[in-house]
Amino acid sequence: MSNKAFLLGDRAVYIAFIVIVLGLPLLVDDVFWLNRVARYLVFGMLGIAMALSWGYAGILNLGQGLFFGVGAYMVAMSLKLQSWTSMQQGSDTPVPDFMLWNAQPGAPTDLCCIVPGSWLWIPFQAQWFGIFMAIALPVVLALIIGATIFRLRVSGVYVAIITLALVLLTRLIFIDAQPITNGFNGLTDLGWLTVGGIEFDPLMVGTYYIVAVSVCIVLLLTRWLVSTRAGLILQSTRDDANRARYLGYDVASYQIFFFTVSAAIAGFAGLLFVIVSEFATPTYFDIAFSISMVVWAAVGGRSSLIGAAIGAILINTIEATVSESEMFQQAWRLIIGVLFVLIVLYMPRGLAGLARDLLARLVALGRGKQADSAKASRNPAE
Amino acid sequence: MFETLFIGLSLTSVLLLIALGLSITYGAMGVINMAHGELVMIGAYTAVLSGIYLGFNIFAAIPLAFLTAALLGLLIERVVIRKLYGRIIDTLLATWGVAIILQQLIRLEFGMTFFGIRIQGLGPGLQQMRVPSYLMQPYEFAGIMIQPYRTFIILVTILLTVLTWFLMYRTSIGVQVRAIMRNPQMAAACGIDVRRVSAMTFAYGSGLAGIAGVLLAGFRTVMPEMGANVVVDGFLVVVVGGVGSLLGTVLSAGLLGQLNGIVSVVYNDIIARAVVFAVVIGIILWRPNGLFSFKSR
Repeated sequence: MSNKAFLLGDRAVYIAFIVIVLGLPLLVDDVFWLNRVARYLVFGMLGIAMALSWGYAGILNLGQGLFFGVGAYMVAMSLKLQSWTSMQQGSDTPVPDFMLWNAQPGAPTDLCCIVPGSWLWIPFQAQWFGIFMAIALPVVLALIIGATIFRLRVSGVYVAIITLALVLLTRLIFIDAQPITNGFNGLTDLGWLTVGGIEFDPLMVGTYYIVAVSVCIVLLLTRWLVSTRAGLILQSTRDDANRARYLGYDVASYQIFFFTVSAAIAGFAGLLFVIVSEFATPTYFDIAFSISMVVWAAVGGRSSLIGAAIGAILINTIEATVSESEMFQQAWRLIIGVLFVLIVLYMPRGLAGLARDLLARLVALGRGKQADSAKASRNPAE
Repeated sequence: MFETLFIGLSLTSVLLLIALGLSITYGAMGVINMAHGELVMIGAYTAVLSGIYLGFNIFAAIPLAFLTAALLGLLIERVVIRKLYGRIIDTLLATWGVAIILQQLIRLEFGMTFFGIRIQGLGPGLQQMRVPSYLMQPYEFAGIMIQPYRTFIILVTILLTVLTWFLMYRTSIGVQVRAIMRNPQMAAACGIDVRRVSAMTFAYGSGLAGIAGVLLAGFRTVMPEMGANVVVDGFLVVVVGGVGSLLGTVLSAGLLGQLNGIVSVVYNDIIARAVVFAVVIGIILWRPNGLFSFKSR
């Protein structure tokens, strides 16, 4: 019986989330603030991707920043070529300013050969190509990585270590390819996204809506995905991979598929983040950033998609509010550390788990039963 | 040629120092301690602070750092890790939280910043440990330039490795640790106090991290985030070498250190690290249990 209450409660949270996210511009007319919220919504999307791979698939990907960063760089390359500075380098075609600083004297000011490897930028003159690659490249990379890892039946901690090493490897590659990626400084001074003649200024309500609608769609799509047959089989591979294998399921295929979906969401989040923040730097490939995503998901609830999203948004909003002074910002990081240890120790299901327990108690109280009988009947999936 | 090998050798010894403690805690207890790097950092700060307030030189700082880090490790084991045995991924996450806490405590000078009190040697800035000049002055011996500090690191590493080997393979406590490594339930059934031995093992591994911190402080700047960079390297060494294998850890530190040294001389540091990561990923995919792991039933 209490299953019905959970379903209702769950639905109520989703509806409330979507209504708040989409209705926010009606209440807030400060565009700077909206821009900030849009960034946190992007992080919420990363929380969803993390809950999908960690909570539902049991794959702890400590290198999610790899897909986010690659997605961000792909679209940033296109937007960089559209920026005003790239147009003003004295050639017919746009050339990023930092390439001129790196060019050999006498090199032609053209993408074909200004610095070694700059030809890679040529197709990015079309904005759609950058947007396409922001999703396609993470997908291809995830397919290759996932196929290698899961076909060889690497599991558990080793997946975490391999993905961690991969994101560090990517970071080094992007820093080392300084002439074409601008190294440590990354791609800054970007142009605006232009669709159908409309320029999407990051400080614009329309840009906020691009992010807000995307987050809602991704949330509903992943929710639908985990409720499909494939999603259920995936959860069985998480609980007992060998049993799923004995039952005849090709465990690796399910793992690869959901690993790739998670990567695609992360790539999409990278795309959106560049549109609202106007830069792409190698810090996206830092371990700290990738592990932050795990923290968000853990705080919100690793096995709840919306919980992870809310966890990400909540932590970042609080962080932004308290970080007005340098000292409080540092204290906040200390609090996050303590909170994280406590959550792993005592509340492994995060805020979502807490909400479910509370709901169970309410239902039990409403029926005049003892709270502990509801506890016993609560979903033991986690 | 000799110079390149020597650079590789000193990189190896630093890697080994960091990996040695990790190998013990990960191998014996199945704990992925992400705060290991922060214990290295604490060791480095112990050296800096004891230099400022007690006038300790590097030789006196080494045992002090060992003690500090070991006690801290004991505390971490008691408060956090003890509750998480058998949940390996959760140990990774919880110790990541511990790592953040330790970093912030140093940055915030144990919270004293809030009261406007500054402690010299702490805080978010960079610190420097003073190394005696006779360890820094390179000298020539038989036509080869010898870097005394690097030589010193290599010697200390050899000493600690031998000591660890002796403890693990020639003492009764070592037998108990190795029994726990293979099968904790069976070890407990044989009358080994698994909790006590695990706690001591963890403290010893943490103490080794503290010593690594002192030695690192001699040629790198000491800062709150110095630990985060070394812990990953340490893990890669342990995983490549094979969990719980001392010999494996030594050889894999040698392999990765030399690889890093040679490639960084031929190309550059960034490419060298990238090559090391690529090789490590390949090895984990090829042999997930590491190069030198024992067969467990």
